[in-house]
Amino acid sequence: MPTIKLAMNRVEGDLEVRAEIDGGVVTSAHCAGTMFRGFETIMIGRGSRDGLVITPRICGICSTSHLVAAVRALDQVSGVRPPPAAVRIRNVAQMTEHVQSDLRHTFLLFAPDLVHPAHREQPLFEEAVRRYRPLAGETTLEVIRETTRVLELVAILGGQWPHSSYMVPGGVTWLPGEGDLLRCRHLLSQYRAWYERRILGCALERWREVQSRADLERWLVERPEQRESELGFFVRYARALGLDAVGRGSGRFLSFGALDLPEGTRVGEGVGGQLVPAGLARGGEVSAFDAASIREHVQHSWYEGGAAHPATGRTRPYASGEEAKRYSWIKAPRVDGEAAETGPLAERIVARDPLFLDLTAAEGASVLARQLARLVRPATLLPAMEVWLSEITPESAHYATVGALAGEGAGLTQAARGALGHWVRIAKDVIEHYQIVTPSAWNISPRDERGPPGPLEQALAGTRVKDPADPVELGPIVRSFDPCLVCAVHTVERGRTRGRSVVRTW
Amino acid sequence: MTKQTLYWLQGGACGGDSMSLLGIENPELPGLLNLLELELLWHPSLSSGDHARLLDELARGARPLDILVLEGSVIRGPGGSGMYDVLLGRPKKDLIAQLAQRARYVVAAGTCASFGGIGADGAIEATGVQFLKKRRGGFLGPDFRSAAGAPVINLPGCPCHGEVLASTLGLLARGSVPALNELQAPLEWYGLLVHQGCVRNEYHEYRVEERDFGDKGCLFFFLGCRGPLSYGPCNKLLWSRRSSKTRVGVPCFGCTDPTFPQPLPFFKTAAIADVPLELPAGVDRAHYLAYKGMAAAAAPQRLSARLTRV
Repeated sequence: MPTIKLAMNRVEGDLEVRAEIDGGVVTSAHCAGTMFRGFETIMIGRGSRDGLVITPRICGICSTSHLVAAVRALDQVSGVRPPPAAVRIRNVAQMTEHVQSDLRHTFLLFAPDLVHPAHREQPLFEEAVRRYRPLAGETTLEVIRETTRVLELVAILGGQWPHSSYMVPGGVTWLPGEGDLLRCRHLLSQYRAWYERRILGCALERWREVQSRADLERWLVERPEQRESELGFFVRYARALGLDAVGRGSGRFLSFGALDLPEGTRVGEGVGGQLVPAGLARGGEVSAFDAASIREHVQHSWYEGGAAHPATGRTRPYASGEEAKRYSWIKAPRVDGEAAETGPLAERIVARDPLFLDLTAAEGASVLARQLARLVRPATLLPAMEVWLSEITPESAHYATVGALAGEGAGLTQAARGALGHWVRIAKDVIEHYQIVTPSAWNISPRDERGPPGPLEQALAGTRVKDPADPVELGPIVRSFDPCLVCAVHTVERGRTRGRSVVRTW
Repeated sequence: MTKQTLYWLQGGACGGDSMSLLGIENPELPGLLNLLELELLWHPSLSSGDHARLLDELARGARPLDILVLEGSVIRGPGGSGMYDVLLGRPKKDLIAQLAQRARYVVAAGTCASFGGIGADGAIEATGVQFLKKRRGGFLGPDFRSAAGAPVINLPGCPCHGEVLASTLGLLARGSVPALNELQAPLEWYGLLVHQGCVRNEYHEYRVEERDFGDKGCLFFFLGCRGPLSYGPCNKLLWSRRSSKTRVGVPCFGCTDPTFPQPLPFFKTAAIADVPLELPAGVDRAHYLAYKGMAAAAAPQRLSARLTRV
């Protein structure tokens, strides 16, 4: 029975996949984070606000979302509600990071799989190469240009991207002036115009009328601009490659919810005071999720200890030797005792988006559904961004004084890749405890105590592989989860652990 | 003429320096590579193809390697094994050592690669490529020289500014090594202070200092700003050609410093009787305090009342 080991590139960070194949079908997969950086215990003993500086540096790709999670945890500790203008600035910055990440992931990280020479017999292959060739395709070049441009918005609101710390308990450090705000609105409208012209091939409003699979079919043939747009081409080519029939996840979806609706806003959507609703879904049934039921398991990860809630769990690298069942530096988070997939598709399902409920009911949570949700997420975010920017006025309050901090807090949000949580405990203005559960920990999770695999591991099982020497079928499945392993890794202080190192090669 | 080659490797990295490089403008990254006639052999986020074969060719010298860029620290833990960071079962530090022996130039992109950065005090035993914090040596040793005879070129910053990365690649592509400071960072971008160009300089000059977030004054005396101590081009080049942390009221955290991240709390200046323990680079303490006392007394009302905009 051949076993394939793949060191994955075009994921952020270090991921290796081991797939066992029998009769041309993946029977079992193990996904391993192969790097350990130990951020969580670096935090212990540091100043109460230091998470605002250290944790964005976990990930250069979703730095803003870590800042949001860190500041939300501190908001909870302080008990001070940030002024509405600060909420708007935080939201717009985080959404800007999302709308650029969604396109960079789709076209720079995911799409190169679709132009692998193994697909050269496909009728649309030449066209795909013209669009997606790494660092040279027509779409690739435009995506690099436009995503770079729109990030200036974060520099205006927060000084730089990535890795700034302008969100502080009590609000934000700065309120942009009229000229700055006008520039932000211009950058956003420019990005929206490009997104509509190039990515959708239609106005956002037209796309948002697509509410079912039948609507999608009609949309595809309605106008040549739609059929030939990036979205139109992607759907047609992905179907030709069979991506609507592979990579099916568990059908269990998690969203922590994100983007608080500020007081007095004209944005009328959202559930429970947030634009992106929180919840846990199974088979299209959405229920509230209980954050207290989260447990991180470590029996298959290189850590000591047992399953624990992040408010009390610790990160101690496993140091005692030879237990073959451990294979990853990622812990295994579970909610209500089970694994759950998170990300843009999970957001759409939890929000009861009729198109994605229909798609997943018919085709399951396929690679196509996952990537489609990512590609069209800007269509739900851009209009609210415009409103929030227009609602900020130069006389708005943006900061309320917060003094020394003590107590516990949890900062939950949705990063570009899904559910992200920071849990902190502070005494006398010093951090006593810090735990982070990242989206990729949910998605790329190893097995838990009882043995069931994580969502990606499950999505890989059952995949047909033509040539085990070049398993081109696996790349799109892995990358449809947009793994960010730099986030999923942990770091600890020197001197906390000793002993022999343990080495696994899958 | 054949193109020069560039190989980008990530060790203990967050990808932030890659995002900086991807965020350059006029030209954007693909245009830059064309302009410099550089062939990007591999970048972990952007490339596809047979990586194992490429690595083998590079290691054997069958394929020339002109510029090696390392992003992120060299992870040596646990116990010097490097097994906290592996590529197909092999410590990545061994790959770094192997490629560094082949490359004409070695560039450390960002503070982690330059000095160890995050994790340098941790169990992961992180180090920079040729420095561990302020001490020359690091992973490759103090005497290391790349094939073209240059030491490792450090481009600190968390992340490193994209224009600094792009310009350094431009210089190396034509065989020119920039003039370096004692930390092996190019003087052009690390021979000036973050403070230079900060729009709060007026407030700094007259010691109009903030004790809390959200206002226009200087952040140096109380809020932990290291702008007058740290070397870097943030307020000259600006980010996205537009702004910087200090311009929006966020203290400089000294992310280009070899000791970043500092052990003391951020957002607080270590001080005795309201006077910072660390004063701006190079000043004489007695003279500085006398000057600051007079400056505060001379502060115009437009500053003490925070009327001057930033």
